[in-house]
Amino acid sequence: MRIVIAEDDALLREGLALLLRAEGLDVVATAGTPDEALDAIDVHKPDVAILDVRMPPTHTDEGIVAAVEARRRRPDLAVLVLSAYVEQSFATELLGGGVSGLGYLLKERVGRVEEFLDALHRVAAGGTAIDPEVVAQLFTRSRQDTRLERLSPRERDVLALMAEGLGNSAIAEKLVVTDGAVHKHIRSIFAKLDLSPTDQVDRRVAAVLRYLEDLRRLT
Amino acid sequence: MTTSASEAGGGAAVQRESFKDIALRTLSTAGQAIAQLASGLNTAVLAALLLLWLALTAVTSVVGVGLLMAPAPLRALHALAGRERARLARRGPEVVAPQPPPTRLRAALVDATTHRELRWLVRHSTLGLLLGLLGVLLPITAVRDTAFPLYWTFMPENTTATSLGIGNAQTWPDALAVALLGVGWIAIILGLAPGMARLQSGPGRRLLAAGPDVDLSLRVAELTATRAAALDAHATELRRIERSLHDGAQNRLVSVAVLLGAARRMVARDPAGADELLERAQSAAETALAELRTVARGILPPVLADRGLAGALSGLAADCAVPCRIDVDVPERCAASVEATAYFVVAEALTNIAKHSGAEHAVVTARGSGGRLVLSVEDDGRGGADADGGSGLTGIRRRIAAHDGDLTLTSPPGGPTVLTVDLPCGR
Repeated sequence: MRIVIAEDDALLREGLALLLRAEGLDVVATAGTPDEALDAIDVHKPDVAILDVRMPPTHTDEGIVAAVEARRRRPDLAVLVLSAYVEQSFATELLGGGVSGLGYLLKERVGRVEEFLDALHRVAAGGTAIDPEVVAQLFTRSRQDTRLERLSPRERDVLALMAEGLGNSAIAEKLVVTDGAVHKHIRSIFAKLDLSPTDQVDRRVAAVLRYLEDLRRLT
Repeated sequence: MTTSASEAGGGAAVQRESFKDIALRTLSTAGQAIAQLASGLNTAVLAALLLLWLALTAVTSVVGVGLLMAPAPLRALHALAGRERARLARRGPEVVAPQPPPTRLRAALVDATTHRELRWLVRHSTLGLLLGLLGVLLPITAVRDTAFPLYWTFMPENTTATSLGIGNAQTWPDALAVALLGVGWIAIILGLAPGMARLQSGPGRRLLAAGPDVDLSLRVAELTATRAAALDAHATELRRIERSLHDGAQNRLVSVAVLLGAARRMVARDPAGADELLERAQSAAETALAELRTVARGILPPVLADRGLAGALSGLAADCAVPCRIDVDVPERCAASVEATAYFVVAEALTNIAKHSGAEHAVVTARGSGGRLVLSVEDDGRGGADADGGSGLTGIRRRIAAHDGDLTLTSPPGGPTVLTVDLPCGR
């Protein structure tokens, strides 16, 4: 897997590269600014770009802007955004245009190497990786929404894990239930969120998007 | 660095204050008083002229002509009063101006502020003028008499009058007596000048300040503006702290987590490599701690609470690359936020001196009296510092404005550069 890393903090950038290389991954370039990152993506054609949100010059949302721009240039590029803290508007901006091949994680998750590598591979394969913290915030913030009110607590847990990008068996493992039980919950969620089985879109993605849409409507 | 004996808080040092220090202080007090009297003479002369004009207007009003001209001298009166307020504020506590009084004659005749200004005008153009003249003439006479033995022999006959006007000095003993008289004048200046200056500024401070019954809405508007600036400065500060936490210490801690994670993965297959990673993680944790300390110090330096302003400023001077003398005489503690502002002003100024001035010496003075804290930072560098340039200075300026204080920077090419900050003590 070919990777480009963009992170303005030199120590952290090198630490990240070191970790990924030690895991046998191919870090083809590292960058300290959004412009360098976009150039490196153009030149090296990586499979995944790992971007820090806060980068020069203003240290606000440069990473998000760069991620959106990189995806505009190459829609199939997988992007994993790392953030110092959860900011809902960043998540909405990043995931609003579709969630496949996108990830949004808190920086410290990198330390849990196994889970981080899982997330990285999932994103590279066109999946999604959303930080549990982001999902938790989505739930608290969208409580006013009546449609979401219809979900049972257990169904919310399942949806939260779906939003993080986990598959059915991974969800079953996390919740210590059978695959069949998870399947039942998911069917129930789709029904309560009015996602009919005939929909062309991936209903899992649609369920996550619904949260983001609800959120945008609320804010 | 050398620390002067008048540093605040050093009780023993204050008692051992040398004769030289006392003499220097007396001289500088007298010098300031003379300068104040002279600047008072300036407004007093204007006041006398204005009084004449007003009298003339009043007399001609009897035949009606003066009534038409009355608003002009009234406007001049308000302008002069404003000038006097500014002059007094430069040399002591601020004189809070009342609302601008009316200039229409009928309203002005019953206006309390105008009445007070007129009373001040009469006093300042008489007593103030006299004191101002004395303040200017005394030093001239003192110099003339003290130096008399040096030049009297070159003077033509009958022009060698003494300053008292009694007789002419004809012999050497006479000349020496005149010199003695000069010494007497100097003693009078040293003893009386400060009192005279107070006497001269008294009527202005009493009569030009807004009376207790006067509408202070202008002042309220002004304070509202500085309060908004204070909140603004506060928000900027919080943003700076947030940024240094997220981009500094937090990134270090993330590095720690990343390196620890990598080390855990490596420990089984490559213990030596894992150890190296742990070593790196440890130093990243130490850097995180150092950065947290820096952030904390940037919020409120702990040294201020521990050792007071004098101790905190001495610490800054000790850390400064340019040799720096500290002279602090602040008998009472100021509000914590004021002391912190003073600390950051000096820190920023010393950083700039070390970076840009090329100076060999710097002097930091802090004086506290009359509810104000006055700081000055001076260096003997190349000068030419820009008062508007530099983000550091902008931040400092905002902090000072938030406290309702003033910052002045004089830095002619070739130096010296003097930064003066005047802050209300807040207690």
